[in-house]
Amino acid sequence: MDAPRIWTTLLAVAVTPDLQTESNTSRPTLLYAAASVVSLVGLADAIYLTVEHVAGRSVKCTIVSGCSEVLSSQYATVAGIPLALVGAAAYFTVFSLATLGAFGYRVAGKLLTLAVALMFVTSLWLVYLQAFVIRAFCQFCLLSALVTFVLTGLVVAIVARESRP
Amino acid sequence: MKRALPFLIIVAVLGIALAVGWSLMRSGTDAPIARYETPAVSQIAGPNPANTPGAPSPVVVADAGADPPHAEGPANAPVTLEEFGDFQCPPCAMLHPVIKTMEKEFGARLRVIFREYPLVPAHEHALSAARAAEAAGLQGKFWQMHDLIYTNQNSWKSAFDVRPIFEEYATRIGLNIDRYRQDLTSETVQNRIFLDGKRARALGVKGTPTVFMNGREVPFESLAPEKLRPLIAAEIASRGK
Repeated sequence: MDAPRIWTTLLAVAVTPDLQTESNTSRPTLLYAAASVVSLVGLADAIYLTVEHVAGRSVKCTIVSGCSEVLSSQYATVAGIPLALVGAAAYFTVFSLATLGAFGYRVAGKLLTLAVALMFVTSLWLVYLQAFVIRAFCQFCLLSALVTFVLTGLVVAIVARESRP
Repeated sequence: MKRALPFLIIVAVLGIALAVGWSLMRSGTDAPIARYETPAVSQIAGPNPANTPGAPSPVVVADAGADPPHAEGPANAPVTLEEFGDFQCPPCAMLHPVIKTMEKEFGARLRVIFREYPLVPAHEHALSAARAAEAAGLQGKFWQMHDLIYTNQNSWKSAFDVRPIFEEYATRIGLNIDRYRQDLTSETVQNRIFLDGKRARALGVKGTPTVFMNGREVPFESLAPEKLRPLIAAEIASRGK
């Protein structure tokens, strides 16, 4: 199989919903839908932080007091790209995959697991940085971590449901 | 239609996300970001009993501030200028070369003290800059850092992350970087900034830059070199030196 045909086939698999009735009955559609909605919270949070970064404005913390320390730290950008923008892209990806998963796109569900796993590890790292390196917490970053942890729980539930015989 | 529905939802959310982002971006542009940048010193200076317009107000005794203060010039100089400054305030950066010129012109007859008065949250990097300068001060290089931060204000004030910029300044002036990083968040640095702020509040400082000459506040309009110079000269003359 030549390369273009491989890609065409993979794309067809990715965008083709699983229409087998038996399989669909055990599909955790509600869990996928919940993941979609939860990811929108993370997307809104990340968009806010990205805009404040790009606009050069200071983010005001109302619950904790370390926003400026965290968001002006060297960890707030990766190779010149605001981490918040990376987060917004990640949450949008999760939203898209969860939505496709809810509509029965099997490959999207698998990619969702991979994406959320990466985000979970990244969030753990970022919380560690806030707690032990920067020694300040930013409420918007903590909200993002919380969203990712909830998404992780949902994805674990999805995988458990889908792996049932 | 059902097969297209998720893609329509995704495209719609992308559109909404971009619209919200754009709207947020525009919503802040009218904010009065210069609110604290406009020096209100002349307006808050209070009653001025001196007959000469622009003359310093009466001596005020208040909290001592960080001890020892960052000072240039001999302790027994007849004139001491005490500046309350915010490193991110544009008028403070404009005053910086004026003070330097006065120091050169009056030499040992003038002592200059700098006090931290970062206007947070209006100036998001003001506190970081104050910490950087104070951390440099713990290695005996406050003034070098002070000068670099003011001189290069335009190059860092809009940066998202000022920490590497100030670290580069720290490297440039030969600081021990590990110690500098530790000192940035140290209690000593925070205390110094707090004590200077306490003194500022006690003196009624509400804007930056605010300058006191021998304990009397110099109105902001008198901080131009052509006005400050005769004020200092008159003060020196009144002290008989």
